[in-house]
Amino acid sequence: MKDVNEFPISPAASARPDLREVAMACAAVAGHFDELHGSTSSNPVSAATSAITSIAGSAGLTRAWGQFFENIADTGALDLNQRMVSLERQIRDNGVTYNVYADEDGPQRPWSLDLFPLIIEAESWQQIEKGVKQRMRVLERVMADVYGPQQLLVKGLLPPALVQGHPGYLRAMHGVKPVGGTHLHIAAFDLARGPDGNWWVVSQRCQAPSGLGYLLENRLAVSGQFPQAFQAMRVQRLAGTYRALMDSLKKLSPAGADSHLALLTPGPYNETYFEHAYLARYLGLTLVEGSDLIVRDERLFLKTLKGLVPVHGLLKRVDDEYLDPLELRPDSTLGIPGLLQAIRAGNVLVANAPGSAFLESPALLGFLPALSQHLLGEELQLPSLPTWWCGERSAMEEALPRLRDCAIKPTYPGSVSHGSFDAVLGRSLSSRELDEWAGRIALQNEDHTVQAYVPLSQMPTWHAPAKGIDEEGQVVARSVILRVFAVSDGPNSWRVLPGGLARVAGAGAEIASMQRGGSSADVWALTRGEVDKTTLLQPQLTPATLAQRKRLVTSRAAENLFWMGRYTERAENAIRLARLTLECLNGEEQSSTPLLAWLSKMAVANTLVLPRVPSAAQARRVFERSLISSLGSTEGATSVGYYLRALKMTGSTVRDRLSQEHWRVIVRAEEELFSRCADHARKGDYSSLDALQILKDTSDHMAAITGAQTDRMTRDDGWRLLSIGRHIERLSFLASALTRGLATGSVHTQGGFEAMIALFDSTITFHAQFQQSRDMAALIDLLVLDRDNPRSLAWVAHTMRGRLAKLAGSDPDEMSALSLKLPNPARWSLTQLCEVQTQAETTFREPDLELDEAPADGSGYYYALNELLLQCSAAAFAVSDEISTIYFTHSGDSKQSMGTS
Amino acid sequence: MKLQITHETRYDYMPAVETAQHMAYLQPVSTRYQQLLSHSLLISPTPAQMTQTLDVFGNPRCFFSLQTPHNELAVVAHSVVSTTTRLLPLSGMSWEQTREHFRYQSGSAFDAATEFVFTSPFCPRHPEFAAYARPSFTPGVSVLAAAKDLMTRIHTDFVYESQSTQINTPALEALENRKGVCQDFAHIMIACLRAMGIAARYVSGYLLTQPAPGTVKLRGSDASHAWVAVYAPDLPPGDRWCDFDPTNDRAGWHSPGEDYVTLATGRDFSDVSPIRGVIHGGASHTLTVGVTVEPALGDAGKSASQSQSQNQSHGLGQSQSQSQSQSAIN
Repeated sequence: MKDVNEFPISPAASARPDLREVAMACAAVAGHFDELHGSTSSNPVSAATSAITSIAGSAGLTRAWGQFFENIADTGALDLNQRMVSLERQIRDNGVTYNVYADEDGPQRPWSLDLFPLIIEAESWQQIEKGVKQRMRVLERVMADVYGPQQLLVKGLLPPALVQGHPGYLRAMHGVKPVGGTHLHIAAFDLARGPDGNWWVVSQRCQAPSGLGYLLENRLAVSGQFPQAFQAMRVQRLAGTYRALMDSLKKLSPAGADSHLALLTPGPYNETYFEHAYLARYLGLTLVEGSDLIVRDERLFLKTLKGLVPVHGLLKRVDDEYLDPLELRPDSTLGIPGLLQAIRAGNVLVANAPGSAFLESPALLGFLPALSQHLLGEELQLPSLPTWWCGERSAMEEALPRLRDCAIKPTYPGSVSHGSFDAVLGRSLSSRELDEWAGRIALQNEDHTVQAYVPLSQMPTWHAPAKGIDEEGQVVARSVILRVFAVSDGPNSWRVLPGGLARVAGAGAEIASMQRGGSSADVWALTRGEVDKTTLLQPQLTPATLAQRKRLVTSRAAENLFWMGRYTERAENAIRLARLTLECLNGEEQSSTPLLAWLSKMAVANTLVLPRVPSAAQARRVFERSLISSLGSTEGATSVGYYLRALKMTGSTVRDRLSQEHWRVIVRAEEELFSRCADHARKGDYSSLDALQILKDTSDHMAAITGAQTDRMTRDDGWRLLSIGRHIERLSFLASALTRGLATGSVHTQGGFEAMIALFDSTITFHAQFQQSRDMAALIDLLVLDRDNPRSLAWVAHTMRGRLAKLAGSDPDEMSALSLKLPNPARWSLTQLCEVQTQAETTFREPDLELDEAPADGSGYYYALNELLLQCSAAAFAVSDEISTIYFTHSGDSKQSMGTS
Repeated sequence: MKLQITHETRYDYMPAVETAQHMAYLQPVSTRYQQLLSHSLLISPTPAQMTQTLDVFGNPRCFFSLQTPHNELAVVAHSVVSTTTRLLPLSGMSWEQTREHFRYQSGSAFDAATEFVFTSPFCPRHPEFAAYARPSFTPGVSVLAAAKDLMTRIHTDFVYESQSTQINTPALEALENRKGVCQDFAHIMIACLRAMGIAARYVSGYLLTQPAPGTVKLRGSDASHAWVAVYAPDLPPGDRWCDFDPTNDRAGWHSPGEDYVTLATGRDFSDVSPIRGVIHGGASHTLTVGVTVEPALGDAGKSASQSQSQNQSHGLGQSQSQSQSQSAIN
């Protein structure tokens, strides 16, 4: 390794504030280990005693941090502000979120990430790695014993209160040997570095630990900001570990290498849903919710558009007690009835095996040293913070006198029925409060666990100035907790992900938790050896893996895609109609009665205004204002904003199928529309010009969204349903627009004719072909019959027939039953559609299209065209209904073909 | 005593249920004190799949699933058992010693019954249970005497009201209202005992009832019954559970009486509910349960000669209206 002093400091950098000097000025609070300097300020670690932190003499920074700042030295402090901004934008743009109290309408909070990584030197990392692997061996043995012979209970090494008394102990899993022989495939350990520079285990998570996705995103974002330092410092890569986990899960699953694995998520309202979608995509797993799966004959299946497909392994992010409403919580809607039977039968691997939640109790930490001795004959290499479970009288007696120097934690965190409470630090309590705690502990001793407190080590973080990026920022020290992950790489064998998730406390805060508003940092574990360049890309694709990689379309995803398509088109239609209406109301033809009547009827029919709003002819200003005020509102009329939000909500449920760009533009379109409309509404002067500008920009966003839909999505059956959803809306919108244009006579006026062509988005084509003509035959030809115009009825009907046939698996050129529900454009003729009956001959009129005044003279009644338009509208509804029956609600139907495994 | 039980459960669905998965605890356990002579479980429509296993407490349970649309489901369990009982034994162990017995100390002897000291879904922890229990737990009194006193107090203080609670009624609410059904009384008594650090479990079963004088017993007029078992650590291993029925103020060793049939035991109702299921479809359903407990053929004479006395204040037609004079213990 190069000595840090050999790195030249570039002349350019010296003109600006020297980053190293800025960094050196940063110091941890007394009593906390200082990551940057490798010492604790009140008790400096001498170079001789510090085996794990080598200090780069003159710089006063540890070797690693010195190297880091050397590598970024030609970046000025001002550039760091710039990078911070770019990092924040990247996180926002990628939609990395952590929903604290997630609900449908609640804001998603962007993930918070610090600019600097937490750097862990190779020696220190090796210790962590060894210690964590050893702990996995102990925990796995504990699981196997508790769900088997229970000798640890018999021998008094484990108190029954922490097993049978723990709500996470699942009786339904007793006596079950999980398929593959391993219970724990993923576990997370929260580590604190004490003032002596040693790492201590604070807690462990194994039920459904989060972080494996967020840390990947952190890595991408932060390594991208400091590519040179990242390369130069031999930061160990992460992909190899994920790869090992996937290989191991497959190997241990009942179908071996051909196993179909899925990631089970509670759904988009879960606080870490972003991560579920992200991980599923990264690992190549099907992202599923409980309702996507079904158990038949003790086997697990995925409900898809093509029937039931076997699933052999689940990486679960649903808490254990919700997994199976038949045997566990009956009110759970997140699980799969019968899943535990499938697990017991050995037909599905679940990572981790249900029932591990009891291992998460902080009380268990106090028993692990003895358990390790008993089970492995080894001392724990990575100690836990001293922990006392107060249910054991002697431990309670030891703990009570030291409450002031400890944290008081619930033995059964999160379980209200088991006396859970929020953990407190003794040092933050008054003497009276401490006495009260001691009283409560004596009364409900089993519920309380006391853990020694250590001041957390502090790492440098970049603090950009509030004023703006032109001011100098600062390096400030913040407390940090390190979450590391162990994953299985074979039966009863684990490896530690070289990296992790650092959770950084706010100013003056101690306990780092995302839910308490902390931040996160990337973790750079340095290596002495080779950097592992494994990627998740398969080296060779065999035909079998290729076939398997073809993405399955779940019935639920299909339904959401279908609705995503429909909301996309509704949003587009609403935008185009709103723009057209505002332009007409302020244009040359603003007093044309038929045009106003047509626009008013279209606005009501497409819910841009409520039906009780007076028409444009009756009260133009009222009509216009109400149309504008509905644009960015989700109350009252369901206008552009409503559809954009609906588009975002359905999009979020199929997030794993959308490209980053696609999702980003959906989010941005919705956010910008609402914030700009709200701005104008606040200012009070909300003119139609402002509204038109907003609509125009939203329309640009929509072009990007529909572009991504046509060009950046795999054209599988899911996409086909999205497309069909769009065409159903388009067919019915355009057909009804034309019907109403004919009925109001608007299409026979100068302005109405132009408006109709504009609404069909065909102005340019029309004028290129027909110049300034205003001939009905030309209009019908382009808007109804033209097979090259994607907004003509013939094109829409033709496309839908094809997509429906393909969806049904028909041979090329064959139509399916559903295709035939649509009128066949090949039979439409211009001559016929242009035939006109005079007023006197008119026998039929749609009642709701009854008008105050008769259509313009000489226009006549286009009966054949009207007939066709009604057919198109009716067909759109019929197809929509049948799609639901055939492809979505069929899921529980026993007639559905069974897959074989 | 030889008893035969017919337990019929019937669901009528509207609209049809498309798929369903069920779990049933309808086969009486076989123990040294209760022999299962025969058992059958008839399910209509015929399930697509059915498996029989033992749960963690040793109770037989049956899983079955239906994969075709159905408008009704009928489950009929028919069992013949031979029961015995013994008077409550003498136990010298005070309740304080018993509580201490379950306390964990590193390396201390393990008793599997400790599992029944902890709270469970239907028997939560609450100071009210401890407060109600305390008068029965005078210093030095034996655990069985305390339990018996508690049982009698519940029997006296509470009103049996068949429609007063639903299965989801929390025991705490029943305690407040001083009324409920057998299941509530069992849950209250268990929660009280556990609040004092005593191991107590829930027993699901049946009780032979006699028609009111001058009437004929109607088929299906009985119901499932529930009571409590208390653990006395100083009794011989394997014989440590004593049964207490707060609904009828009766107690005995292994069973409150010969006229009781034990179906299953667990921490509370949630572990051993007779039928539990998850259905897809069937927006609404009606449930009909009919239980008939009667002396089995060949044992009729013996049962008729048994001395029975109606000393309950409950109305007629209840299944839990039987009582028997008990010899005092302790």
